[in-house]
Formats: sequence, C-alpha cells, structure tokens
Amino acid sequence: MRILICLATFIGLVAWTGFADAEQITVRMWLHEHPPRVPIDKSIIAQFEKANPDIKVQYDVISAPEYSTKLLTAFAAGSGPDLFNNTSTLVTQYFAARILAPIDYDALAFANEAALLAKFQGGFDGIRFQGKLYGIPTEVSNWACFANNSLWKEAGLDPKKDWPKTWEDLPAIAEKLTKRDQNGVPVRRGFDFAWTIPGTFWFTPNTMIHQLGSNMVNEDTYKATLDTAPSRRAFQYLQDWAGKYRLGGPQYTASRTDFLAGKLAAECSFGIWGIPQMRTANIDWTVMPAPRWADATSDNGLDIYAYYMMVNARAAPTVQKAAWKLARFYTDHAAELFEGAGLFVPRTEVTESAAYKANSAAPFFLAELKKAKFSPRVVGYSQVLDAILRGRDKLVQGEKIEDVLLIMNEEVNAVMNRERARATTLVK
Amino acid sequence: MIARRSGLVRFHHKWWGLIFVLPVVLFFAAFNLFPTLFGLWLSFTDYDLLSPPIWVGLDNFANLFADRLFQQAFVNTLVFVLGATLPVWVLSLLAALVFDQAFRGRDVLKAVFFLPVLPPVVVIAVVWRLLLHPNGVLTSLTGGWWGITEIRWLADAALAPFSLIAVHDWAIIPFFMIIWLAGLAAIPPEFREAAAIDGAGAAAILWHIDLPQLRSTAVLVAALSSINAFQTFALQYVLPSDPGGPANSTLVLGLLVLKYGFQYFRMGDAAAVSVVMFALIMAVTVLQLWFNRRA
Repeated sequence: MRILICLATFIGLVAWTGFADAEQITVRMWLHEHPPRVPIDKSIIAQFEKANPDIKVQYDVISAPEYSTKLLTAFAAGSGPDLFNNTSTLVTQYFAARILAPIDYDALAFANEAALLAKFQGGFDGIRFQGKLYGIPTEVSNWACFANNSLWKEAGLDPKKDWPKTWEDLPAIAEKLTKRDQNGVPVRRGFDFAWTIPGTFWFTPNTMIHQLGSNMVNEDTYKATLDTAPSRRAFQYLQDWAGKYRLGGPQYTASRTDFLAGKLAAECSFGIWGIPQMRTANIDWTVMPAPRWADATSDNGLDIYAYYMMVNARAAPTVQKAAWKLARFYTDHAAELFEGAGLFVPRTEVTESAAYKANSAAPFFLAELKKAKFSPRVVGYSQVLDAILRGRDKLVQGEKIEDVLLIMNEEVNAVMNRERARATTLVK
Repeated sequence: MIARRSGLVRFHHKWWGLIFVLPVVLFFAAFNLFPTLFGLWLSFTDYDLLSPPIWVGLDNFANLFADRLFQQAFVNTLVFVLGATLPVWVLSLLAALVFDQAFRGRDVLKAVFFLPVLPPVVVIAVVWRLLLHPNGVLTSLTGGWWGITEIRWLADAALAPFSLIAVHDWAIIPFFMIIWLAGLAAIPPEFREAAAIDGAGAAAILWHIDLPQLRSTAVLVAALSSINAFQTFALQYVLPSDPGGPANSTLVLGLLVLKYGFQYFRMGDAAAVSVVMFALIMAVTVLQLWFNRRA
C-alpha cells in the first residue's frame, strides 16, 4: 500500500511539473557577438526572467562573421530564433521572406506607434516597410572622421582649424599629411578611405551622392541610379583619389588598422564605438564631420546603419508576444548598453546618461546622426554590393568611368530584378 | 544441436560481414552519397534558404553560361589550371632529376626544399600576403634594380592571377618532386648502366631511358596536379584583399560556389556550378586514365 501511495505521489509530481513546464514559454534569442555586450545581455536576461517567471530565455551569441549565414540556415531548417538582431542593410531579405513580425504594440506595452517613437530621436527608418515598423533599434551607428592630432601637428596642421570642409579641399590637405618616397609612392598616408571594408562602398559613395540629392539605388522604384551625374562625380572622386592623386587605395593596409597603429593621419570609418579602441592604441584624436561637396544640396554626414531587435513571424503567437516583451525589456536598458558596450541609440535615457555626458564626442555624433540618411535597403544586398565592389576595382585599375558605371548599373539592375521577382512581397 | 550450430554459422557467413561494414556504409551514405545527390537535386531548383525550393529544371545550367561571373570564373579556373599544371609538371621533374643525383648535403637540401608542402594553404597565403605587399619584401627584391618601390602583386587585376599561380606552384612543386623521385627510384639501375656501357651520355639516358620509364608517373603527376588545380579555393579566398579580387580576376569556380551559396544565397546556382566542376574534373580524370592505360 505504501509503495502504491509513493508511486501515486511520484506520478502526480511528474505530471504537475510537466504541466508547469507546459505553461512556461521559451524564447530563443540570437544576437551577433560583440564581446563587451555579452555580460550585459546576460544580466538583462536574468532580470527579465526574474520579473517574468513564465518566460524562459534561451540565449545564443553567434560570431559576427558567421551570424547572417547561420540565421538563414536556421530559418531554412525551421529552427530560426524567435527574437534576433541584424543590421538595416540585411533586414529586407527577412521582410521579403515574411520572416519579420510587425511590431506588437500591445506586447511592447506602448499605446501605438507614436508612443514608441516618442521614446526615440530617430533610428527607425531602416526598419519601416510598407508603412509598418518591424523592429526596435539596439544600435544606431554613424561613422565620422577622426584625425590623429600628433600626425597633423607633425605636418604643421591643426585638425580643428585645417580640417577640410569640402571634398574638393580634402586632396590638398591629405597631400600635406602624406609622406612619399622618391617615386611618389606614399610611405605614410595622410588620409584614406576604408577601401577594404566592403560596406564602405555602400556607405561612402552613397553619402557623397546623397549630398548631391541622389542615391545609388532607388529603394522605391528598385532601379539602380549609378549611371547618373551625382554618381559619376562621387566615383570619379574615388578613382582620382587612388589614381590621379595617388593618396591611397585598396592595395594598402586597411585604413582603420593603420589609423590605430598611428600610421594614418585621418580616416572616416569609425563610429562612436571606435573611441575605446583609440584610447587603447594611445591615439590622441579629434573627431570631425565628413566633408560635404562645395555645391551640396543636402547637409548629410556619412550614411547610417542600425541594428534592430526583430521577432520571427513563424514563431507561435504566444512566443511572439513573449519575444516582444523581452525586446522591450532589453531595449529599455539602452543606457546600460551604451555605457558598457558603446552601443548608441538616440533615446532620452541614453542622451541623459552620465556616460553620454562624459563622452565628449557623443553630442557631435548625435548632431551628425540627425542629418544623416540610411543607405538604401534592397533584397540581394550582398550581390548588389559585390557588383559595386567589382566596379570599385575596375576604377582603381584605371578603366573608363563611363564604361564602369554603365556595367555596374546594368549588373545592379539585373540583381534587383531577379531578387525582387523572387521575393514574395514587394518591398515598400 | 549440430543443425542449429550450422544455422548460426550460415548466419555468420551471410550477415556478419554486412553488419561489420554497415556503419561505414551508413556513414558514407549519410555524409557522401546523400549530400552529393541532394546537391544534384538542388542544381535543378531555385532556393534561397528562406523560402521553399522551386523546381526550375535545367534553367540554372542554361543561365550559367550567360552569367558573366560564371564565364569569368570558368576562364580564370582554366588559366589557373594551366599555370598550376604545366610549369609544375616540368619544374617538379627538373627538381627530381637534380635531387636524384648524389651530391653532398642532398638530403638536407631536399628536406628544406620540401618544407613549403608542410604548412596548410591558409598559412602559406597569409605569409605570402605579407611578402607580396605592394611595398614589401618581394618588391624590394625585384623592383629595387629598376628603382621601382611599388608593385601591386595582388592589387593589379592583370598581375594578381599570376602571383597566385606562382605562390601555388612554389608550394606544390616539392610534393610532385617526391612522386617523380619515387618514379625515378623504380627504374632498374641496370638500364642506365647498360646504356652507359653502350656510350650513352646523361642527356641520352634521360631521353631514352628515364623519360619513357616515367610515363605512368607523368600521367599521375598531370592528373593529380590538374584535379588539385580545378579544386583550388583557399589561396584565392585568403591571399587577395577581397576573395577572388581584384575585379574578380582571381575568382575561380570553387570560390563561385561559396559566393553563390553562402554570400548570395542562390543555392540552386551554387549547386549547378558544383555539378559543372564535377563534370570538368571527371572529364579530365577520364582523359588521363585513358592516357595512363596507353602509357
């Protein structure tokens, strides 16, 4: 009899535990690896789980270079995460494949879109499709130009006084900062672009083209506008930089690497997150705005990109709600993420935080951010970027700009036509 | 009892062998056969990983031949195969003939000469990337005579494919030298002695004795070097600043599979390129087997 009672108690306990488990919702959360952010993530998740005992968070950090591929293969296998992040340049493919769930304001505990936007000072343009929002920004990043004060001083210049205001003035200043050998080969560059970072050729020429009132790709019509006067001017500038002026090019060490090694006087591919790296490298820096064209029609700095927290539309509705709840909880820790991991989001908690006020470059970045624009978002981004990089190489090899831009335009259009035809939803 | 035991023995004979090989068969089926057949099936589909595959028949193959990237990768691969087989064949034979001679310090020199074969290709690529810096060591060594201080070994679209071939050949020649040496060692010494007694000089012995005896080794070296060259990937991925760059001048078929599959997420096209590569390698192998049989 005693055995029977024990058995019944055991079965009852097991059944109860199973029932309790069935009530708990598990949210699978994937984020790309950014080492200083990981301990903060863990702390936020622990707090969330404590506040929401019915939700368990399964948190995975995936190395940044593998992140996008792993996300896609996981979605393909039907095992994609419920909550994940990625950049504005890559989100269109998820939207087109109907992976993104539109924001659930109820689960986020916001009355409506206006209430959500009121918390921020921008950053949502990269995640709006067909008028709806599909994510919350966790990092809004704009690049700016940094000058190495010592190298400028060595050349008899002061970045605060002598920094070129226009692209037209930049080559002359860069020349003064450049050291050359007897053949005119730069042995120490004065200024150079980040030629070897692929995304640079999405952001940099597009910034120049934006300033002239155009774009490399029209996101609305899905047509390439690379073979236009503003485009020709931007790419001609880059071709002259490497060929005519011999101020730099993709054959040299990456500009970020050389800048941090104290071998490059100025470059424009660091965000606010680059400052700790400069501190570690003992670089005495000055942050400066990207030059504008003398006849610019738009006063924008370098293009922006953002990371968003998004929810998988293929997850069960209850899981989606829990995921949005977690997204809200996570993004409400923006000040902590800025202080500990350098991830800037333009929202009041951040701009009023002690860390923001202690960062001398932060107001500058925010001011530039408000004027900057997102680069176009297209399906097949990697292919489009690759076509532009092929064009970059041809320009550096000295090919005629008209021919190169014509082919680039044709290739980009072919990619976009193909990818849009395949996409199940028209973008925007 | 005896009948039962003989039944067990029969079971042994019939099934034990199969049971023992079953794990390997299953492993082969799961990790070789299935991916191969799945890849073949994928080549007939349009698949982007995010939405279900769509059957498109032979469209991927038809589109490939009009695709600029494929055309360029195909030509680049053929150039690389030529550069990575003919010079390798000749230079590795010459090296083997040198090291087949008896001279002081031969074994030490041979070991040193063999060293480039040992590190992985990625390590070789990283080291050569430093050496081939436009203002680096190799530029100083070669350009110094003419006062040239910058050579774009890897950044010039015309020069980069040949820089890669040179690095590849430098790393692989010692390996094929060993194969030639094995072939030379297999030639009975009496042949050479008899020829020498008959008054044949070194050149005549090489031409009339060694080379005819090395025919099957020659086919083996040609087959291995060309298959290896068709499959090239790591060098083109690591050595240039952009994989396959500049301006796709070092884009080869192996790299195109990666680009289509995991950069563009065009799995169907990636699989179609793999099938074309497979067919090319198969054709070369069959041709060389035919030569081998004749040799």
